[in-house]
Amino acid sequence: MRIMSASPSLTRKKKKSGSKIGFLYLLPALIAYGYVVIVPTFQSLWFSFFKWNGITEAQWVGLNNYIGFLSNPLIKQAFSHTLVLILFYSVLPISLGLLTAALISKTQIRFSGFFRSVIFLPQILTSVVIAVIWRQIFSTDGILNDALRAVGLESLTQPWLGSFTFTLPVLGLAGSWTTMGLCMLLFISGTANISTELYDAAKLDGAGAIREFFSVTLPGLRPQLAVAMTLTLIAALRVFDLVWLTTRGGPGTSSITPSVLLYSKAFTQSDVGAGAAIGVLLAILALVVALVIVRVMDDKD
Amino acid sequence: MTRLNRVVTYAILISFSFMVIVPLLLLLGAAFSPVQSGRIDLGDLNYSNFVNVWREAEFGKHLLISLRLCTLVVAITLVITTLAAYAIAILNVPGSKWIFTIILAGLMIPLESILVPLYFTLRAMPFGGGATTLLIAHVGLNVSFGVFWMRATFLAIPKSLLESASIDGASPFKTFRMIVLPLTKPALITLGLLTFLWTWNDYFLAVILITDPNQLPVTLAIGEFATKYSNKYNLMSAAAVLVALPVVTLYIFFQRKFIQGVLTGALKG
Repeated sequence: MRIMSASPSLTRKKKKSGSKIGFLYLLPALIAYGYVVIVPTFQSLWFSFFKWNGITEAQWVGLNNYIGFLSNPLIKQAFSHTLVLILFYSVLPISLGLLTAALISKTQIRFSGFFRSVIFLPQILTSVVIAVIWRQIFSTDGILNDALRAVGLESLTQPWLGSFTFTLPVLGLAGSWTTMGLCMLLFISGTANISTELYDAAKLDGAGAIREFFSVTLPGLRPQLAVAMTLTLIAALRVFDLVWLTTRGGPGTSSITPSVLLYSKAFTQSDVGAGAAIGVLLAILALVVALVIVRVMDDKD
Repeated sequence: MTRLNRVVTYAILISFSFMVIVPLLLLLGAAFSPVQSGRIDLGDLNYSNFVNVWREAEFGKHLLISLRLCTLVVAITLVITTLAAYAIAILNVPGSKWIFTIILAGLMIPLESILVPLYFTLRAMPFGGGATTLLIAHVGLNVSFGVFWMRATFLAIPKSLLESASIDGASPFKTFRMIVLPLTKPALITLGLLTFLWTWNDYFLAVILITDPNQLPVTLAIGEFATKYSNKYNLMSAAAVLVALPVVTLYIFFQRKFIQGVLTGALKG
């Protein structure tokens, strides 16, 4: 048996039948992936060139759905909210994560497993739970207002989630709460990989803590930084659940996001083409974000 | 200096932990509170909220729907992505480089950009609007990560081990079952846990794809319940605790796997 399969003609034959079986192995995954991801991706693009109410015949409108966005104040508002959300989902957690990682990096920590698990916990909670927590804290008779009243700051109490000014930042804070742990753990594990020789060299050069951070820690964390930026920026771009579960984009449209707009266009206002177009726009933006980050991070090498 | 470092380090870690724990404790407290506002009075705690939620939201029914959904999604995802990754990483099927690139591209496609057509495609199916639509959507969406994850696992298996198996005349399937599978068990467990987590926690897909009120998964049912009783914080909190419980329990037992999985998954880009 052993000798036979070692003969060249037989091994070749075996390889061929192996690759046929191999293709069978691939088939189920490819079918599921094609049906759910690939085909709909192109269909989205196709849909976005039509005016369609989801029922009657669709009408080809070319790029009109996209051109319509240019003069649509709601779209502009939704994307300007994305910029605000980026502060909370991305800038704040990444800055705090970097700071903590820099401060913590060189100290041996007891119970480090415990701290990691706790700080990471919000990542595994579903949006429904986070929405309930946030409503409980920020509602009119919620914990925050109670606390303000208790310390005599009654004048500062607000219906936080019913306010045109505060709703978006308050929802943003929920985002910071969930992404902070992820960023922090990414950076802490990243700093652990930076060779201590680099720190020693910096010290020999007489670098202080701040110079050391900018010349050793920050460059050393470049891969983790790229990951954290990509993840959190795309999360900010896609915000839906939390807004939908707490304010549905309100009051008015003061907390509307692109995804919420997509939902209401495609599924409540029966403007399927416009909904699909928002989806395409989000895909393009996500791709641009990822490509820019990869480019910038590679350039410094 | 080192002493100062130590103090600063613990101060930071403890305050971050507080920021996570305090809101969760408030939620837990409110869930046991007898008053609607959810105000916590440690002398007066009772579990009637849980009983009420269980009854009013038909929690048991939706729990079963979610559990069945998650089990099937995990099982199917594990099987199909393991097979596909094996074909790519070990059998080296012709064109596997291309196929892998296309599968990997799925990690970059945001859900929003496939959702509208997916909704119409699945709605037209005989099971449209039911839990089966969710099952199909979840499985398809898990392919990219699953294949990525299992391929990396397979590539880490020493080549010599596989070669000696094929010299001994083992068929590809036998090699797969006797050698590859046992070696990849830890990776399979992590992938299973993550798939469970994502399926259980999903709200967005369900809110769009499920139209049959009798087939709502638990997140959606509780989301609707919470909107309906938005002024009864004690009930809402009890509902939220019930939804979080299975995942948090799993997390307590498998923290390392969850964290490692999510961080590695994050590093894929």
